[in-house]
Amino acid sequence: MNANCDNKYINKLSKFSKTHILELILFVVSIIIAFTAPGFFTSGNLLNILRNASLKGVIAFGMTMVIITGEIDLSVSSTVALSGVITGTVAGKLAELGIMPLEYSVIIGMIIAIAVAALVGLLNAIIHTKFNIPTFIITLAMLNVVYGLAAIISKGFPVTTFPSWYSKIGAGQLGSIPIPAIILLVVFFIVWMVMDYTKFGRSVYAVGGNRESARLSGINVKHIKIVVLVMVQVTAAIAGIMVSSQVMSGAHPFGKGWEMDVISSVIIGGASLTGGIGKVKGTFIGIIFLGVLLNGMTLLNINEYVQYVVRGGLILMAVLINTVQSRKAV
Amino acid sequence: MTNERIIMSTLRTENISKQYPGTLALDNVTATFESGQVHALLGKNGSGKSTMVKIFAGAIKATSGEVYLDDERLDFKNPQEAIDKGIATVYQELSLVPGMNVAENILLGRMPMRGKFIDWKKAYKQTKEILEDLGVDIDPKEMVMNLSMWQCQMIEIVKAMSTNPKVLMLDEPTSSLAQNETDLLFDMIKKLKKKDVIIIYISHRLQELWKIADTCTVLRDGVYINKTIMAETSHEQLIKMMFGDVKIKTRPDDLIVGEKTLLEVKELTRKGHFEDISFEVKEHEILGIAGMLGSGRTELLRGIFGADKVDEGKIIFEGKEIDKPTPHKMKKAGFALTPEDRKHEGLIQVLSVHTNLCVASLDYISPKHKITKKMEKPFVDKQIEDLEIKVPNVDLPISSLSGGNQQKVVVGNWLNTNPKIMFFDEPSRGIDVNAKQQIFDIIWEQSRKGVSSIMVSSELEELLEVCHRILIISNGKLIGEVKPEDITVEDLYKRCIGGK
Repeated sequence: MNANCDNKYINKLSKFSKTHILELILFVVSIIIAFTAPGFFTSGNLLNILRNASLKGVIAFGMTMVIITGEIDLSVSSTVALSGVITGTVAGKLAELGIMPLEYSVIIGMIIAIAVAALVGLLNAIIHTKFNIPTFIITLAMLNVVYGLAAIISKGFPVTTFPSWYSKIGAGQLGSIPIPAIILLVVFFIVWMVMDYTKFGRSVYAVGGNRESARLSGINVKHIKIVVLVMVQVTAAIAGIMVSSQVMSGAHPFGKGWEMDVISSVIIGGASLTGGIGKVKGTFIGIIFLGVLLNGMTLLNINEYVQYVVRGGLILMAVLINTVQSRKAV
Repeated sequence: MTNERIIMSTLRTENISKQYPGTLALDNVTATFESGQVHALLGKNGSGKSTMVKIFAGAIKATSGEVYLDDERLDFKNPQEAIDKGIATVYQELSLVPGMNVAENILLGRMPMRGKFIDWKKAYKQTKEILEDLGVDIDPKEMVMNLSMWQCQMIEIVKAMSTNPKVLMLDEPTSSLAQNETDLLFDMIKKLKKKDVIIIYISHRLQELWKIADTCTVLRDGVYINKTIMAETSHEQLIKMMFGDVKIKTRPDDLIVGEKTLLEVKELTRKGHFEDISFEVKEHEILGIAGMLGSGRTELLRGIFGADKVDEGKIIFEGKEIDKPTPHKMKKAGFALTPEDRKHEGLIQVLSVHTNLCVASLDYISPKHKITKKMEKPFVDKQIEDLEIKVPNVDLPISSLSGGNQQKVVVGNWLNTNPKIMFFDEPSRGIDVNAKQQIFDIIWEQSRKGVSSIMVSSELEELLEVCHRILIISNGKLIGEVKPEDITVEDLYKRCIGGK
């Protein structure tokens, strides 16, 4: 009887480990890093991880929606730069013209930055839905266009016209929690609720799972695509504002190459690039894990080039595990 | 001399069983198949016939028992070994490469070479010989994407035959063919019989078995039931063997067509597909659309539903014209469409049974933005129960269900929207007689409730059984209208093909 009980327990455990193998591996790797990396468990370091992970993390939630729809947005990293540049430029111009002091004009700047990002998303979406060109191509082109625009607006120099309170957004703390981490949690919560508990979320999964079936089921596929492609750009703008706030400047090289880290954390979190599969909670795990890994490797003084190899290997492993698991499930 | 048939080779199974977790898919089956004949392998979904085919094809291994080909025991580790031993399978899903020509497809992987280059001249000559040998009149240089479905099906068979197999297994080769095309395919299969090959033929279309098969082996719930000579077996006997005791019903008498016109289609045209089509549908009415494949019947349904854009014409529903229909708009008006290709257009394979039952009806389940699994559950449970969908757990992926149950999910997904009119495009394709009857029962039950239906089917006898009235479409034009009680299947068939 005792053996029977044990067996049941082991069965349950093996079943759990089979379905959650990726989470388990991520957990174990995190534990190893946590206990071997010097100074990992200091509160300063933990907050640092959160703060750093938050920037790309916010975009990753937007990207999760896009990837579940079966699309992609490679242009987000340029939007990170553009929104910082726009915020600073608008704030500076309004203050310079004496319309309002910098303290307030920066708010207008942020609103315009987010609106412009939304417009970029809308443009991506309209080109995609009207002409049926893959979002991969459109956003690859837009990555360059937006990067160029950011450089043109800033004339190639960092924009630094920010009021001092602006630094609070990216570097401030509420109690002992960094504000970016709070923003990350808020965005996580909103996207999680939207994807798991709204009709819109259901439709996103349906469109990603099979566009034609979704369309014939009377789901407005274009509408869904437009909304997610706009949303991901808005998250990129929010991240861009946080970055410019941390360094109190906005410049066109900011965010360069982020799209790959963002997409990586979504993939590590279990989403499939073919669409229809993925979880917002998974992306959260992906973000935290990537943050822990990068931080740990730095603390362990691992060569930067080696870090790239480890990161790449990890993405491959995550995709392999997910693929093998989904193959078994079917 | 004339009656003497020398049996050249035989494929036989001895007490094969296949145990899956929870189900015994094959239970001690002993069966024999001789060459020079077409052997139908018959059974409803879950009867074990696919399992048997998969064992022959080397895709799975039997749990116990043996398979022999001419006294040689077969024990395949993978499908390639089966092919090497001369067992060729033509699956339901075609595997041709559309961007290559016929010769390349047939000789794929074994193109004749001259040095390092492909010897095209030889390839075309070789292909031509193979095609001529089997009496197929298709140009070896023709691109596969320019071929019609039945021609592709023939090329698949030619490809399989070109390896000189001892066993040829055909899995539902006619499932997407119209009747006249089926006949052409059968002419070809009959020629194969002279080739001393064991032909195993799997089909859901009972009627056609008499045209093509010599014997019929029936499985039910994994058990071997009988092997009969087709010529000595009646339709009823075969159905009885497959199902035990189920009868094909005809439309109940209490389904009366209403007075009020529900849908009016006026001069609807989609260039290149159908033109100038006008008809009406009354409340409670079940309207059938008969026509050959490619006659424009599917396109007509899709055009009305807004799935494809139409060029001209009016759609008037409940007295109001619907301008520029889209599926989204039509759903709101009370339309529903179960598409012809349920796998690619009706269902979302990566999602669960639960989700697939709610995709169309999100707005009906919840008037606000919020939706939870709890809110959806009564809608899911209702359809599972009403439609008798067999699924151990609604969170399983939809792909784990049998064809019949998948079709019921497609229907259930739409019933949850409380439609006023439903379009059924080939609702019985690839599903067994039992599930088919259940689908028809649903259509009748909807009619009783006041819901109208339009049904398209390649199987004309189904239309005669199910519908109140049948429109005949040929080459995109409406050429006639009949009542099922006034016409026989043969005459309806003649009118469908005669309209050209």
